[in-house]
Amino acid sequence: MRISILNGDPDPSTAFQVYVHDFAQRLSASGHAVTTLDLREFNLKGCSGCWGCWVKTPGECAKRDDSATVCRAAITADLLLLASPLTMGFTTALLKRAADQMIPLIHPYFVVEDGEIHHRARYAKYPKLGLLLGAGGDCDAEDCEITTEMWRRMARDLKSQLVFAAVADRTAQEVADEFARVA
Amino acid sequence: MNSLVLLNGSPRGERSNSMKMLARVAEGWVRGGGQEPEVLHLAHRIGFARAVKAFAQADTVILAMPLYTDSMPALVKSYIEALQPRTAVAEGENPALGFLVQSGFPEASHSRPLERYLQKLARRFGSLYVGTIVRGGGESLQMMPDRANEKLWKQLRTLGEQLAHDGCFGAEELRAVAGIERMSALTLALARLVVNLPIMQFYWNGMLKKNGAWELRFAAPYAPAAKL
Repeated sequence: MRISILNGDPDPSTAFQVYVHDFAQRLSASGHAVTTLDLREFNLKGCSGCWGCWVKTPGECAKRDDSATVCRAAITADLLLLASPLTMGFTTALLKRAADQMIPLIHPYFVVEDGEIHHRARYAKYPKLGLLLGAGGDCDAEDCEITTEMWRRMARDLKSQLVFAAVADRTAQEVADEFARVA
Repeated sequence: MNSLVLLNGSPRGERSNSMKMLARVAEGWVRGGGQEPEVLHLAHRIGFARAVKAFAQADTVILAMPLYTDSMPALVKSYIEALQPRTAVAEGENPALGFLVQSGFPEASHSRPLERYLQKLARRFGSLYVGTIVRGGGESLQMMPDRANEKLWKQLRTLGEQLAHDGCFGAEELRAVAGIERMSALTLALARLVVNLPIMQFYWNGMLKKNGAWELRFAAPYAPAAKL
């Protein structure tokens, strides 16, 4: 399976940073083709709600930054793993900046899906989504639940589903074993 | 009278739908006897910095935002992260906190998980939670003349007035302003019939044509072979 990991930890010196790369290595050892994008090293200007990616350069953000690399890594993967420590009860602003700039992957037109209005697909195939959360700080189980629910909805809007959600409170091997069972 | 700071968390800044809605809450607040609120735009560097300081000084803060990929925009998350030191202050030192979340989807249901997060965020600060205004169909505010939205403006003014009088938004008024929570089976069936009609896509199609991008509207540049 082709797996793209978006690592949203802005601090290169944290234990979570080590954990994400350890986890990636274990997935590679299991035979997956893994690409890890450390988002802190990317120039992401953020979505300004201009809709340029829908009405000026359809499918591409009009900003000159690295968001195209993120979009390409996402849409060409079989599974997109979003990795982030929890800060103030949610994944980091850095990961969210990357996610906000993924709207070129869908189309502005609406469709009816799962009893709600959603955006139409732009691509024939979308990656499954996974979530790896860094525990600790002032964040608790309720924060993990709320965060997972918001990303579950994001997965639906990305014409996908969240197939894996784990907290990095066990060894990377234990979480990799769980990943192998469910993803 | 308490001081009110209105924070516009839309990356679009002054010209945003969030600001249009926030302006009506401000009108209601003043009509209810409140002093003219300070309005700050997080999209501007100076506004962002001022908003971090204002959080420590205001009696009440309302933070407005559009729904971006099913949660808060990254800009708003950056602001929340900048406020992390405020979670360590003594009980009662942080302002009463309320929110406004608007989305382009017609149903309010899309914004409910974010509302739950924001409610928890107020607890994280030890703040009095005054409520979250949730409203779908926000993008239509750009398309319609202001007079066509008079019912919504009135609802938002009423919520602002309640905030001035009671210190919180009214539960009944929050339900009313949310509009459609989820579509009924009949409405969904109708939506399936009309969603592909050109009339439903005129806003996007008009801009695509104006920008000379109509022929490219279904472009799939990162996986050309997988184009629909």
